[in-house]
Amino acid sequence: MAEQQTNGATDHSAHADVLIIGAGASGSVAAKRLGEEGFRVVCLEQGDWPDYEKARADKPDYELTQGRDWNWNPITRMWPGDYPIDESESDITPLMFNGVGGGSVMYAAHWHRSMPSDFRVRTLDGVGDDWPLSYEDLRPFYERLENDMGVSGLDGDPAFPPGPGWPLPPSPLGVAGKRVARAHNELGWHWWPGPNAIATRATKHLKACARRGTCLWGCNEKAKGTFDLTHWPDALEHGVELRTGARVRRLLVADDGKIRGAEYVDRQGREFVQTADVTVLAANGVGTPRLLLASATDRWREGLANSSGLVGKRLMMHPFSTVVGLFDDDLRSWEGPWGQSIHSLEFYETDASRGFVRGAKWGLQPSGGPVSMTRTYPFGDNPIWGEHFHENVRKRLGRSAMWGIIAEDLPDERNSVTLHPTLTDASGVPAPRIRYRADENSNRLVAYHQARAVESLEAAGAYEVVVAPFIRQTGWHLLGTAVMGTDPRRAVVNAFGRSFDHPNLYIFDGSIFPTSTGMNPTGTIAAMALRGTEQLIADRRNQAAAR
Amino acid sequence: MTMAFDEQSRAILAGLADALIPAADGMPSASEAGVAGTWLDAVLESRPDLAPPLAALIGKARGREPGAVIAEFQSSDPGAFGVLAELVPGAYYMNPDVRALVGYPGQVGLDVDLAWPPDWLTEGLLDPVIERGPIYRDPELGGARPPRP
Repeated sequence: MAEQQTNGATDHSAHADVLIIGAGASGSVAAKRLGEEGFRVVCLEQGDWPDYEKARADKPDYELTQGRDWNWNPITRMWPGDYPIDESESDITPLMFNGVGGGSVMYAAHWHRSMPSDFRVRTLDGVGDDWPLSYEDLRPFYERLENDMGVSGLDGDPAFPPGPGWPLPPSPLGVAGKRVARAHNELGWHWWPGPNAIATRATKHLKACARRGTCLWGCNEKAKGTFDLTHWPDALEHGVELRTGARVRRLLVADDGKIRGAEYVDRQGREFVQTADVTVLAANGVGTPRLLLASATDRWREGLANSSGLVGKRLMMHPFSTVVGLFDDDLRSWEGPWGQSIHSLEFYETDASRGFVRGAKWGLQPSGGPVSMTRTYPFGDNPIWGEHFHENVRKRLGRSAMWGIIAEDLPDERNSVTLHPTLTDASGVPAPRIRYRADENSNRLVAYHQARAVESLEAAGAYEVVVAPFIRQTGWHLLGTAVMGTDPRRAVVNAFGRSFDHPNLYIFDGSIFPTSTGMNPTGTIAAMALRGTEQLIADRRNQAAAR
Repeated sequence: MTMAFDEQSRAILAGLADALIPAADGMPSASEAGVAGTWLDAVLESRPDLAPPLAALIGKARGREPGAVIAEFQSSDPGAFGVLAELVPGAYYMNPDVRALVGYPGQVGLDVDLAWPPDWLTEGLLDPVIERGPIYRDPELGGARPPRP
C-alpha cells in the first residue's frame, strides 16, 4: 500500500508510461521525443495555451495591451495557471509563463550554447562546481535542438568551437548593429551576428519573422521558436496527452521509494491521480523544488529527492543589466527582431585581474515604440513629462540601442526556494518563498560589464549613455535548485537528470544547472532535457517502476 | 461595454493630460490630439480595466489645478500616476497624425531575408573578429585558448 493517502482523489485515468509535469521547454522536448518512441505520455500543465489573439503587434493598441496580456510577472498577473510567490527577501523577482510553451512564450529568443569552460567552472576558476558532463557530451543535443527551434545565426563565431552551424541565416544587423559592430572592431572586441530562435525563413512549424520587434509580448507572426509551436504539434500527433489547467499538488511515492505519479486538481477543484512508471518534473527552477518540498511524507520528511538537502538551494537568477545609448542618427530602433542583432562575448571568460571571476553575455536589442520611450525603464527617472516631453521622446524614439547583459551568478546555498509557512495557492499548495541576494562577485561583475558597455556605445557614437536603474523584475532565468552531479551526497540528480533517491523520477528543467553560466539558458535547458530523454528511452527495459 | 466619461470628466482628464504632454516643438498637446476624446474611447475599448482607476483619479482632481494634482500623484499616489502615465501616452500615440509627426509607422512588417549581400557581409565587418581567432577557453587545453585554425 502506498504510504501517502490521496485525499479521496479518484484514479480514473489510465496508467501512463511517463508522466511529465510542466509543458515548458524541457517538458515539451521530453513529450515530443517520448511520443515519437511510442511511450504513453501524459503531461499535466497548470496553465493554458498562449492566446495569440492577444498578440497585437500589428494593431495600434499594441503598447497599451502588452503589459496586461503578456505580463512576465506571475505575481502581478495571477492568471489561473499562476501561483503566489513570496519574493520579499529577494533582490530579484522571478518571472515565468505558466502555460504551454513555458517561459519561451515570453522570452527574447536569444539562443545560446554554453561555452566549453562553463562545464568546468571548479577546475578552471576554483568556484562553483564542474558539470557532470562536458560541452562535447551536450553538443549533439544542441545541434538537434537548434534545428527543431529554427535558430537563425551565422557559422564561425570564434567564441565557440567549430560546428555545422545554424540552420537559418541571421537576422539583419540593422543600423544600430552595424554601428556597434564597427565600434567593436575599432576597440578590438568580439561581436558576432546574434543567434536567435527566430525563423528568418519559414520552417515546418514557424513562419518567417516580420521584424515587428514584439517578440517578448506575443509573436503574432508565429515566427518565434516557442515550444508550444515547435514541439507540441508533433507531440500531440504522436499521441501525447496534454491536460491544461491541471495543477499538481504533490508527487506520490510508494513504499519502495519509487514515484507512483502525482495528485492534481483541475480548475473546478476536482481531484485526480495520474500514475505512471516514470515521472518527469519540468516545472522550472521555482516550481520543481516547490513540488518536491510540498510532497514531503513521514518517511521523506525533508521533501522528495532531497537526501542531499539541496532541493531548493543554490538558486541562481542572473543579475541583469541594461545599458542604453542615445544617438543622433535614425536607427529605426523600434524594428525587430527583439531578439538580438549582435552579441558580444568579449568579457565572457574569466580574467581574475578584473577583481571577479566568470563573466556575462551581451545582446544588442531594439528599444521599442513611442509609449515605451516614456517609461522609467530603461531610461531612468529623468523627468520626461511636461515642458521637455517631445524633446525627450524624439531623442529616444528610433535613436536608442540597448545592450542587455546576462551576468553569471555563482551558486550559494543561502539563495533558495522554500515553502511559505502560511501562504498557499488556490489549491492549497504552499507558495514558494524566494530568498536571493547578489554576492560581491556578482556586484563587481555587473559594475565592470556596465562600464565596458558604456564604452562600447560611446565608441559607437552615442552622445549619451544611460545605465538603466536596477529593477527587480528581471528573474527570467531560474536555475540550480535541484543540482545535478555525481555524488548523491552533493547532488539531487545525476548527469541525465535522474534522481538519486527515486530511480523513476527525472528532473529536466533549469533546476539541475550546477552553475548558471552567463548565457541565456533555454538552449542548454532544452539540450539537457533531450539528452536525459534519450537516456530514459535507451534505458526503458531496465527502468524500475513503483510497485 | 466601457464606462462612460461625461464632458466634465473629460475636461479634467484633458487638463491633467496637457500637464504631462503640452503643445511644443511642433507637436500638439494631449488634448489637441484627442487624448480625452476619441482616443480615450479607443484606449478604454482595449483597456477597460483602466476605466475605474481613471474615474477615481478624475474624482481626486476635480476642481483643482492640474499641475498640482500631477505633482501630488507623482509624490504620493504612484498608482494614480501610473494609470495616467499608461493611458495618456497610450492614447496620444494611437493617433495616426501624432505617429506621422514623430516618424513612427507602428510595428510594421518588414522583410527579414535580406537582399544579397546581407549587411553582416558588407565592409569586411567580420574579418577582424575572425582574424583574432578563438576567444573561448578549452578545458582540454587546461583552459588555454585554442590556436587559430
